[in-house]
Amino acid sequence: MNVNSFLALSRAFPREKNRLVCHAWHLGKQALRVQQRRTIRTHSRSLAYAKDLFLGQINKAEVFPYPEIGSDELEEVKQFVAPVEKFFNEEVDSAKIDREAKIPAETLNGLKELGLFGIMIPEEYGGLGLSNTMYARLNEIIALDGSIAVTLAAHQAIGLKGILIAGNEAQKKKYLPKLASGEHIAAFCLTEPGSGSDAASIQTLATLSEDGKHYRINGSKFWISNGGFADIMTVFARTVVEVDGVKKDKITAFIVEKAFGGITSGKPEDKLGIRGSYTCEVSFDDVPVPVENVIGEVGGGFKVAMNILNSGRFSMGSSCAGMIKKLMELTSEYAVSRKQFNRNLSEFGMIQEKFALMAINAFVMESMAYLTAGMMDRPGVPDCSLEAAMVKVFSSEGGWICCSEALQVLGGLGYTKNYPFERYVRDCRILPIFEGTNEILRMYVALTGMQYAGNVLTGKIKEMKKGNIFMAMNMAGKKLRTSLGASVDLGLTGKDGVVHPSLEESAKKLEQNVSLFGMTVESLLYRYGKSIVDEQLVLKRVADVLINMYAMTAVLSRASRSISIGLRNHDHEVLLANTFCNDAFFKNNYSMVQLQKHSPENNDASIKKIAQAVLENRSYICSHPLERTF
Amino acid sequence: NVSDGPADRMKCSRCLLQLVRTSRTVVQRGSLLLSPSSGQLIFRCSPVSAKSQPEPVRFVNDGGTKKTKSLVTQEDLFEQVSKESKTKATFNQVIDVFTKTDIRRRGHVEFIYAALKKMPEFGVERDLTIYNKLLDVFPKEVFVPRNFIQRMFNHYPRQQECGVQVLEQMESYGIMPNIETKVLLVQIFGEKSHPIRKYQRIMYWFPKFKHVNPFPVPQPLPEDPVDLAILSLNRIANDLDAKTTVYQLPFTDITESGEEIGFPHIVGIQSPNQMELLAKHNPNRPVFVEGPFPLWLKKTCVYYYILRADPTPPEEKEEEVYDPERCFYYPLQLDLDLDRDLGDEENFDVDDLDEGPVFAMCMTSQGDQATLNQWISGLQQNNPILGRIPTLFRLDAGTRELEGAADTEAGHSHRPHPQSQREDGLPAEDSEAAVEEEEPRRSHGMKQ
Repeated sequence: MNVNSFLALSRAFPREKNRLVCHAWHLGKQALRVQQRRTIRTHSRSLAYAKDLFLGQINKAEVFPYPEIGSDELEEVKQFVAPVEKFFNEEVDSAKIDREAKIPAETLNGLKELGLFGIMIPEEYGGLGLSNTMYARLNEIIALDGSIAVTLAAHQAIGLKGILIAGNEAQKKKYLPKLASGEHIAAFCLTEPGSGSDAASIQTLATLSEDGKHYRINGSKFWISNGGFADIMTVFARTVVEVDGVKKDKITAFIVEKAFGGITSGKPEDKLGIRGSYTCEVSFDDVPVPVENVIGEVGGGFKVAMNILNSGRFSMGSSCAGMIKKLMELTSEYAVSRKQFNRNLSEFGMIQEKFALMAINAFVMESMAYLTAGMMDRPGVPDCSLEAAMVKVFSSEGGWICCSEALQVLGGLGYTKNYPFERYVRDCRILPIFEGTNEILRMYVALTGMQYAGNVLTGKIKEMKKGNIFMAMNMAGKKLRTSLGASVDLGLTGKDGVVHPSLEESAKKLEQNVSLFGMTVESLLYRYGKSIVDEQLVLKRVADVLINMYAMTAVLSRASRSISIGLRNHDHEVLLANTFCNDAFFKNNYSMVQLQKHSPENNDASIKKIAQAVLENRSYICSHPLERTF
Repeated sequence: NVSDGPADRMKCSRCLLQLVRTSRTVVQRGSLLLSPSSGQLIFRCSPVSAKSQPEPVRFVNDGGTKKTKSLVTQEDLFEQVSKESKTKATFNQVIDVFTKTDIRRRGHVEFIYAALKKMPEFGVERDLTIYNKLLDVFPKEVFVPRNFIQRMFNHYPRQQECGVQVLEQMESYGIMPNIETKVLLVQIFGEKSHPIRKYQRIMYWFPKFKHVNPFPVPQPLPEDPVDLAILSLNRIANDLDAKTTVYQLPFTDITESGEEIGFPHIVGIQSPNQMELLAKHNPNRPVFVEGPFPLWLKKTCVYYYILRADPTPPEEKEEEVYDPERCFYYPLQLDLDLDRDLGDEENFDVDDLDEGPVFAMCMTSQGDQATLNQWISGLQQNNPILGRIPTLFRLDAGTRELEGAADTEAGHSHRPHPQSQREDGLPAEDSEAAVEEEEPRRSHGMKQ
């Protein structure tokens, strides 16, 4: 009871603060006061949680307690969810969409009627005006059909996001209502044949006409989801901008209507999965775009693109969770009915393991997704791109494993088209690829954190390099203490603790990981400095550890809340949370041991060598085992 | 006697059978020289049985009779045959003749030494069957030690040494012995003899070294100069992206006056990276066509030319500026004031000497400026910038030209190509041949 009460207290405390911040934001009158408040806080609001982990700190106020929505909001969500769920269960024939590689018009119309084309567009523009959290909730259901999920995501997570976050009032008024109703469908045109994530190699060119009223866009864009039927496109093109008297090529974002003319779309790509989504090449031939249709500033397209890409990722967590939950229902049905050797499949340990894996993964993804969505829903413009990227990486990979394990439970049956598993596996494969490949996102996560930690630690590291004995002694002492097993206390448990005692051990593990991670980051910065950008294998481990720690945080936070307010089956949540934390703890420790200098666990040098040999010859170079020399 | 396991013996006897068959065919081919009863001759299992056999062959050639009279060299035998032609068949014939003249194989050691010496002349120095046949000349089982004293001391040292010499020559030509060789050696010298040890060493090292060269030269080299040029250019460039282009195939044209004019082949190579570099080249700075440079492919030497430029002077070098708006997803550089720790610096401190870029390479049989100009204009199709860059020809006559026939054009930039000159100073008869084959004599004893 004690614990519950102070948990509740600590939950109330940051809320109070937030409300204040929120007021200030809107009223402006109290701005000064808030400013003072902010300077008192050690970190500005936009930092969010993950970056602090790089310093070995847990900014628990950010993630504890687990974000909640109000009861009325919850009612609202339930009202939305029920018809959507019904629609997806009854009206959507995923097998047919997959077979015919086309979403039928009546299905699209149904989606429009449900308002799913404007989930996050504010109500004043005719959308549903739902928060990130509710968007995530709806995505759980939408994800049951990969093609529809991708079509909708291309429309609203990236396609119209540009107008929503960077467009001016006129643009919003002009375009958003029709986009919200689904009358117009949006697409996001960034990728080009020669340019994936490299802005410098974008070839599409926008030139200003002589009267200065139009831009003419020429070029072609690749792999554009919804490219075939989109009416409104966010197009990124190079424009010549004068900066300090020097002419420079800069990216600018444009709103391009198909009605402007000169736009042709190619044949839909024949894809492995998400076959119902219309992905094709779109060519722009002298398309006239009025100057009013520039999103943001001329030459400011890079930021627009980055913000759009960064904001859309968090929902993948709930999508994957939704999918896995569905798969668990389907497979468990089979596992308990199928008999081998007079025993149900469900009695076999190796089958049980797969279900546990799916449950843990779904639980972690959900926790991460809603934690992140809740953080994004806080007032102000919190930068949660790091967290969102982590959710995306974790859930896309977990989703892939779970789908394939679910298929494995059914064995040969799962491999046939009679069951939906093979379709899920195919659809799932896109997740680690799009919206920034997982490799690129790992780089983003690790480097952003490194930059942050570097800013803080540079002075200290320089002192140490200069041979400041006091500093070095301090460092050595700290290391010695941890190696001798001194417990780390970052305030998750004990007095002022935020984690429920039944999760205490897991919380301790997280604290240990975080503190070791802080030291690891410091030593990495010491060793590599800014040249760490070239150490991709190191960065990958850093990102993996961080992702695991964020996942641990999310499950601890969620499970603590569940116990405290007595949600149904919260004991199961505790079990899942503890199991996951235990597992992640060992993985993290292993990764961090690998990050130590001269660590025998680290195979990087050999890995690079192997890859080099293969790439030099562009083939597998070993002799065939049947080959002989005499 | 041979003390192998039963399985080994089986294998041996199978090999022997094979030997019998092959030598039979040889015998049949050379039947002009042999008596019809030659089928019997192949192996004698023991000296005893050898004695009981009647003399199986009679030598018909007068050269043989001469040889039996004198102690003088076995080389005579080869000399006589070589008057007609030097081929594998005649070499075989000589061996057959020798083995059939004398049942005791008198003078076989001298014969084998002579044969070894003559092998390159007959072009059989890389022929395993010939080596085996040569070993077969040794009488079998005579030199196998029979008791521990013989085994302890060097039994029949001259013969063993000769056997080792055969293996040594095989080794120097890179010929790996086979199981037949082993069977023969065991039969001749016994299990633990010096030749067998040599054989074992060869079999230990040869397989290990067989693929040690990451850039093996094909054996034999292609005959066609164009193919050879493509091969060599790819070998120098060592770039899978590089594209070879044949700008001109060799051909001859007859002018109005009835003169025959030979046109050389021109083969070039360029990689996309080189094209990129060339496109970035400052057109105010000249590019140079330089050469000829030699490339040795075992005993063959070919020459190539390069298109290069001087290294860009430091004041012209453009530093790539970091653009923070380059990557949509992650920072390409960190804004930190920390460098890599010395302890983690894994690169050696190497003095970087900027040598200037090489843009393309070519091979042609005729290295005059006109021909190379043709190459440059061919390159220009894919590298339009070449039309704007001054191209200078800095062609070397090559060091050996001085030895060559006094050249009237010496001093000009386009001098006849050294390729067209024989190394021994004779003027070239055939300017078409880009390939210069060294005199086989000189390659003696050259380890391959």
